[in-house]
Amino acid sequence: MPLKLSVILFAIVLSTTTNAQDEELLKSSTIPIQLRVKANAVVRYDNTLIEVESFNDFLYSNKRIVTVYNENGLSDQGAVVGYDDNRKIKNLEARIYDSNGEEIKKYREKDFEDASAVSGGTLYSDNRVKYLNYTPTNYPYTIVIETQVNYRSTAFVPSWRPIGGFYVSTENSEYKIINNSDTEVKIKAINLDGYAIETHSEFHYSAQNLKSIKPEAYSPSFKSYAPMVRAALVDFEMEGVKGLNNNWQDFGKWMYDELLTGTEVIPEIIKEEVKALAKDATTDAEKAKIVYNYMQNKTRYISVQVGIGGWKPMLAGDVERLGYADCKGLSNYTKALLDEVGVTSYYAVIYGGKAITSFDNEFSATEGNHAVLCIPNETKDIWLECTSQTNPFGFTAGFTDDRDALLITPEGGEIIHTTVYATKDNLQSTNAMITIASDGSISADVTIKTQGYQYALHEGNQNKSLREQELHFKGYWDYINNLSVENIKFTNDKDRVVFIEDVSVSSSSFAIKSGKRLLFQPNAFNRVTRIPTRYKKRTLDFEVERGYKDVDEFIITIDANFDIEAMPNAVDISNKFGSYSFSIEKLSDSKLLYRRTQILNKGFYAKEAYDDFRTFMSTMVKHDKSKMVLISKT
Amino acid sequence: MKAIIIAVVLLIVCNLQAQNFKFGKVSKEELAEKVHPKDPTANAALLFKRESVRFDYRKGDGFTQVRTIHQRIKIYNKEGFSWATKKVRLYDKMNSESEKLYKLKAYTYNLVDGKVKDDKLKSDGVFDEELNKFWKVKSFTMPNIKEGCIVEFTYEISSPFLAIDDLELQYTIPINVLEVLVKTPEYFIYNKVLNPQTTYLPKIEESSSTKSESITNTSISNGSLGSRNSDTSVSQFTINENVIKVNETDIPALKDEPFVDNLGNYQAKLKLELTAIKYPNEPYENLSSSWDAVTKTIYKSDDFGEQLDRSGYYEDEIDALTANLESNAQKAFAIYNYVKVKVKWNGFYGYSTDAGVRKAYKEGVGNVGDINLMLVSMLRYAGIIANPVLISTKSHGIPLFPTRDGFNYVICFVEDEDIMSLLDATGDNATFNTLPIRDLNWQGRVIRENGSSTWIDLTPRKVSRDITGLNIKINSDLSAEGKVRSQKFDYIAKSYRDNYADLSTEAYIKVLEKDKGEVLISNLEVEGEDSLLEPIKITYEYTMDNALEEIGDKLYFSPLLFLNTQENPFKQDERKLPIDLMYPMSDKYMINIMLPEGYDVEYLPENQALDFANKTGEFKYLVNQNGRFLQVNVELNINASLILPENYTFFKQFFAQAMEKESEKIVLKKI
Repeated sequence: MPLKLSVILFAIVLSTTTNAQDEELLKSSTIPIQLRVKANAVVRYDNTLIEVESFNDFLYSNKRIVTVYNENGLSDQGAVVGYDDNRKIKNLEARIYDSNGEEIKKYREKDFEDASAVSGGTLYSDNRVKYLNYTPTNYPYTIVIETQVNYRSTAFVPSWRPIGGFYVSTENSEYKIINNSDTEVKIKAINLDGYAIETHSEFHYSAQNLKSIKPEAYSPSFKSYAPMVRAALVDFEMEGVKGLNNNWQDFGKWMYDELLTGTEVIPEIIKEEVKALAKDATTDAEKAKIVYNYMQNKTRYISVQVGIGGWKPMLAGDVERLGYADCKGLSNYTKALLDEVGVTSYYAVIYGGKAITSFDNEFSATEGNHAVLCIPNETKDIWLECTSQTNPFGFTAGFTDDRDALLITPEGGEIIHTTVYATKDNLQSTNAMITIASDGSISADVTIKTQGYQYALHEGNQNKSLREQELHFKGYWDYINNLSVENIKFTNDKDRVVFIEDVSVSSSSFAIKSGKRLLFQPNAFNRVTRIPTRYKKRTLDFEVERGYKDVDEFIITIDANFDIEAMPNAVDISNKFGSYSFSIEKLSDSKLLYRRTQILNKGFYAKEAYDDFRTFMSTMVKHDKSKMVLISKT
Repeated sequence: MKAIIIAVVLLIVCNLQAQNFKFGKVSKEELAEKVHPKDPTANAALLFKRESVRFDYRKGDGFTQVRTIHQRIKIYNKEGFSWATKKVRLYDKMNSESEKLYKLKAYTYNLVDGKVKDDKLKSDGVFDEELNKFWKVKSFTMPNIKEGCIVEFTYEISSPFLAIDDLELQYTIPINVLEVLVKTPEYFIYNKVLNPQTTYLPKIEESSSTKSESITNTSISNGSLGSRNSDTSVSQFTINENVIKVNETDIPALKDEPFVDNLGNYQAKLKLELTAIKYPNEPYENLSSSWDAVTKTIYKSDDFGEQLDRSGYYEDEIDALTANLESNAQKAFAIYNYVKVKVKWNGFYGYSTDAGVRKAYKEGVGNVGDINLMLVSMLRYAGIIANPVLISTKSHGIPLFPTRDGFNYVICFVEDEDIMSLLDATGDNATFNTLPIRDLNWQGRVIRENGSSTWIDLTPRKVSRDITGLNIKINSDLSAEGKVRSQKFDYIAKSYRDNYADLSTEAYIKVLEKDKGEVLISNLEVEGEDSLLEPIKITYEYTMDNALEEIGDKLYFSPLLFLNTQENPFKQDERKLPIDLMYPMSDKYMINIMLPEGYDVEYLPENQALDFANKTGEFKYLVNQNGRFLQVNVELNINASLILPENYTFFKQFFAQAMEKESEKIVLKKI
């Protein structure tokens, strides 16, 4: 068992810093050849030890040796440590070695840069980071980083990700939890099968020679196939507040009791105001819509991350007074308003984002990056996004749709699935009246109507300045050169969630001239132009996260001095990925009707099906390019 | 008569009410306004902005700079909400050297049921944050922001420094009323310049005034019988002050456009630079006054000129490196490459050395000053005429008047007879006369060994060429196959090296195939990636399904096949700011087409030549048929690096016509 032996050796390495094994790892020449393929960096060695002393105290120790091959591998160094009042750095040092394993630089904790961990969209956060600012003089080089952090807030336990991301391979990685406390540590191993990972015990894992992964088009999220071990304490503390986490029910109960209870107080005068507003409404949905609209007009989104690790919402009374809050504060405030009009709603923690990320149904732990509100309803739950001042009531497509979220009720937590927008509901209809003149120029009145997920993709156009709106349409139809755009009109029907864009366009160079002939593509306003990337050997399965349906009808009037010389034949294709059809009907000598329907289904497919998928897409691209030929009568 | 007087008085009073900019005197009319009367697209507007700078004398501390800001901002819609949040960066190194923000007072005003309702900014909306060792940020966000509201705030910043930050006179939203007042003590001489590149030039009034300051001296002495006496003496003195005033109304918003080098270059602003200090009874201390004087000051400083004279740390290595090299060109090339490999750039700008050349050399890391001054020094040591050139990078913009801050970077100019070349050893893919793009801004100041200095133009004159040969063999199944050979020179080669040289063959094929339809590329070879003086040579073979379209009984295709520009990058109808193209370029295609069996040419595009602004842009399209072979030459040259806004419409048209011609189809018919 050479594998086990090396694990034991590495365990020894951890306790003594200079060691023959260690020295070998510092030379980049000793990296196995298969790990250098498609790698910006190789993690030679990564050892994480978590020693749990009590429900509110654990020590995280990590030693990491990384060989960096180029600039893109700099972030794989892992030379960043977050800290705050309840996460104290005990030790932090780094050494840099050249490719021969000779030490060239040494950094102590004071040599690390200290900065605020505020990200772009946040006004204030009390989290901070220390990071190493090293300028490599030569590649490859090897960095050894040793970190020790004492966690007094134990709601979040660092997990193990032996493959840290794309284009980085791992030679050795180990993760171990020693529990010296009387609280239970829960653990869950995910996606370990198929990777060279050994499970020594429930609390001890190691990996050897994991090759790098490269991203591919239409891949499902990295998290869905990469190996990971997650851990959580059953008894924990978050900034001095004790909690229990056997399951989602407990964890949600804790959130309700400790983070939400007592935050929902709003002034009497406001209570009266919303009650008066909603007094004529009969159903819960009607009342909720009035309250939602009231909230949207009163507040704005400002991200300020303070208070119990950024997990406790701002008091509803403060939100009322200040007129702003982050997602937690705005959701909680809306909930308080809904309570007043007698509508039950629940605060929910979720992953917000275009990419669909779900909570783990089976493993309760601190998760999520966003908060929303859910109004339970027998037929269909209503989900409210409270951070937007313009979002239609109950609309969530594109940001919090189709995923598992944690609902916080007074009885405890519960995982439930958010609204799914079906393929047929993500509809776009494009209608156009097109005139093609004898010089090849085009003028047209176009109407684009979008619903469901496609509404979310188009609705933002109305908020742009006129100049940007014009540029948007020029970009949307970028295959038509010299496009000029006029008479832009938007109609946003928020009640039915339908967005309508009316626009007049023209271009002097639409049809291509070839002597006496004019060539043009009858699909003037809704072409698929991109073929998915080709892979010689596809390695990852693929996914279409949201389906959609496009329906197009264009009436084309051609100049009376031209005859139709050639016209493409109708096409009708249907398969598991979706369907595509178009036809051209001659309404008169100079009038044509072009109809097209395209559907892309939501679906998850094995990698073997990718070539077929790509063929389907490229067939659409080809048919959307089909041309008509007109020939001059004179 | 009386009635008229009363009417006039009333009018004046009304007028005053609508225009009252005293803090807190926000009117209902201002709150009721729905859109900006002059710029209906504005999401917000500065109804009033007052900014003043003064110097207070404090015993022990000397002069302290105090900047007072008062802004009243109208927010028309939700897109304008970001104006309700303000972030102020404050220098914060040590206590004695830190800037402080105080006297912050801020209110939000809303119109509620026809009445003005105000909400005060409280401490829970104010945040302090340490950004890093040198800077902290004070930020605040206003309460109760709704469409149509007004926010108003005032605060002061005290600073121990004499340098005055730029006074911004224009924003991305309109300013209705602007008042700027700067009072500087006679002891400090400031140079004043307004940005001449802006489309809006405000008027500056200058005058002088006096102010009286008093110093209180308290001395404590031990009196008889153990009592303590304190004597207080107050001495008065007067200071003459120089006064600068700007009083303007209706300043239009500054709007960003694509392909602009640096929007700040076009913003109206007043720059004040300390050029001299003259205290009473002390000698006149000249800090800078002309570009020549600025250059001299920089040259004389320890972390610049002196760094050029040090040679002990590298002599042995440079001697060994150049021992067997004969020409100065070979030596220069060897030394340049040596510095690039030996010392890596840490990402920091600056014309002065940071670590110092010796330490940077030893540790292998340095800032721009460390690296390029070392390069100059080594070249000189090897007997090559080389001089430092002070420059301002694109992000630093174009300085308005001579100051040391006008420069932020240094490069090297080799003036040896055979080699006249600008060099920058911080850019991996830079080489002789091919500098990193950040350097290509404005002009540079060459400093000769005797301390004299002169300007040098940094705009690349040489046209960077991209030449592509495309062979097309058309098959009977409407596919095409053939070979592509392309050569990229100078900046175009550099752009390839910056973006693609690290990619594997397979990954670069993906780049080439992207959005090109059904093209399959194979046998890709790239030469010249590492020899920076050589062009990049790329060859590959391709097959393309459905390269031709069969419509009726005819075949259609465009001769550039999959290489034509897909999309006109210039989409705006008009422009106010110039387009920065960075360097002149030439894009040339030589296409050879072999016709398929059984087909003949039905239609060939006509030859065409286009000219834009007297050869600033040239486009040529030439077709030749020779039996079964067609030859098409397409050439697009842009012989300038900057297109001025007044030429934009023509430039856009020129570009569109060229693209249209490129997409024209050849028609083949069955024999």
